[in-house]
Amino acid sequence: MEQRTDADIQDQSPQPTKWDRSAIVRLKARFERQNWAGVLFLLACAVAFPMLPGVEGWQAYTVALVIIYIIAAQGISVLVGFTGLVSVGHGGFLAIGAYTSALLTKYFETDIIIGLISGGLMAGFIGFLLGLIFLRLSGAFMAIGTLGFAFFVGTVVNNVPLFEGREGISLPSNKVMFWEIGDIGFYYVSLTVLALVTLFSYCMVRSSVGRAFMALRDSEKAAEASGVNRVLYRTIAFSISAFITGMAGVLNGHIVNYISSEVYGDIWYSVDILVAVVVGGSAVLMGPIIGGIFVVMLPFMLEELADFAFILKGVVLILVLIFAPAGIAEVLGRPIRNMRARLLRQAGYGGREPAPAETTSVAAAPSQTEKP
Amino acid sequence: MASHLKCEEITVRFGGVVACDGVSLDVEEGKIVGLIGPNGAGKTTLFNVLSRFQEADAGEVYLRGQPVNKNSTSQMVNLGMARTFQNINLFAEQTTLDNILIGAHHLCAPPLQSMLWMPQARAVERELTDRAVEIAEMLNLESELDNLAKNLPYGLQKRVELARALAAKPEIILLDEPVAGCNEEETEELQNIIARLNRELGITVLLVEHDMSMVMSICDYLYVINFGANLAQGEPADIQTNRDVITAYLGEEV
Repeated sequence: MEQRTDADIQDQSPQPTKWDRSAIVRLKARFERQNWAGVLFLLACAVAFPMLPGVEGWQAYTVALVIIYIIAAQGISVLVGFTGLVSVGHGGFLAIGAYTSALLTKYFETDIIIGLISGGLMAGFIGFLLGLIFLRLSGAFMAIGTLGFAFFVGTVVNNVPLFEGREGISLPSNKVMFWEIGDIGFYYVSLTVLALVTLFSYCMVRSSVGRAFMALRDSEKAAEASGVNRVLYRTIAFSISAFITGMAGVLNGHIVNYISSEVYGDIWYSVDILVAVVVGGSAVLMGPIIGGIFVVMLPFMLEELADFAFILKGVVLILVLIFAPAGIAEVLGRPIRNMRARLLRQAGYGGREPAPAETTSVAAAPSQTEKP
Repeated sequence: MASHLKCEEITVRFGGVVACDGVSLDVEEGKIVGLIGPNGAGKTTLFNVLSRFQEADAGEVYLRGQPVNKNSTSQMVNLGMARTFQNINLFAEQTTLDNILIGAHHLCAPPLQSMLWMPQARAVERELTDRAVEIAEMLNLESELDNLAKNLPYGLQKRVELARALAAKPEIILLDEPVAGCNEEETEELQNIIARLNRELGITVLLVEHDMSMVMSICDYLYVINFGANLAQGEPADIQTNRDVITAYLGEEV
């Protein structure tokens, strides 16, 4: 059956149907609705999770940890995926967010919402400055520069008395406005932040800003010729990325009610978030979600072998880089995209297939890729 | 007719190499002007100076009488100037539609409004998308709108570059070898498109090209440069019979 429809399309293709814009627009609107339906389903599952019978606080706590990683990974993916700049220093922004909120909570007894906003803004501001400083760096140099930033932040929290080094800062139980929240409440706070961050990323990517990011990634020269201000957009990318990761840092501190330089003073966070987006995929919104689950759940799943998680992470990373360089999300999304491309082609919309798998079918019907 | 783009005594040195040595040219509004010269004459360097990709060591560039030496590269498009590149410079990982839309970047809403999807910004976006589709239809690219630029054949990529430049609503467009590497059919098509842009949209065109039959039939006026300096200028018919130009291209008679 599948074969026949394929052949039918190829038979028609020598004389493609006339360009019918309304049909294409309808099809694309349908795809969009399907996307949203998928997202809403995932969201509904996440909302319902703590209410399931038998789910206890510590399970909600574990999933909240995953969510926090996903938020941090969304932040770094703005930078890595859409502007093509590699950052090995995002743990620095995580730390800035965490310490900002922790100090505010300690000295001013603020709640978690103010913590989130101020932690995010502080990280975003530092990100803005860093964007300006690293304006001319790219590729490996950018990686080294951001790594230096992570070490710098680590040294500061280790040695400046305000941050209380390895002693750490203990935080009172978490509050939203004046209500204290437990593990399940915290789970919902994290989920809300994730939903907002994902919605924001979605909108940003599909706006002129996202286009400008990708333009700078693909060709700086052509982007500037088209009027994209390189300085402006690179600093915007850095600030947004840092803002999101900073919020993840705030949550990361509050979920355990304690922060210390033992956790934030080294660069493993930076590496972990980067691994999450590389494994999951960075230029797709599902990428950080899959990557975040992978990075956090791997040690849990290995149980007593958790010490080997680092090695296994490395192995998976290498395998992904070899077999799915665009990330797992890209591979999982492929059948859906192929199906949609086929529907579009049926509607007379020219489809050019880059995939080598298609070459065989093209050879059978050579006229298929030829467009007038 | 008024001068649209003018440069005076442009000099560019790369170390010991003098790429442009006091070149001047004056592009009249509404004309198609060609810039020709043997390989290495400094045409592309001059183009880069005119579009602010290259800082000139000496000389001034004027756009509608205003000096633009202080403007940044990305500001030129706001002043109504768009350009294409000799080696195709598309956004390979993006679709044809997005490539064209980037050209209209300076017409988009401010960044903050755009990324928060404010209604105003969305309206602008819809309008620009419609216009991008119109441009694609004009250049026969409509069936390629959803395909990644890197998957298009060479001739179509050249047209996408042109479409991107047009999306900026330019008043003057700088084309660096628009038909280089195209076959006869593609050349003719592009030639017709360029002529139409000029006639119907009133866009001033300055182009560098090696395809002499194309240059001679499409251009209203020609500048010839050689070894980074002006060699000749005039109507195509005059240039064809100019002794200096023939010598520069074919060498001395023995």
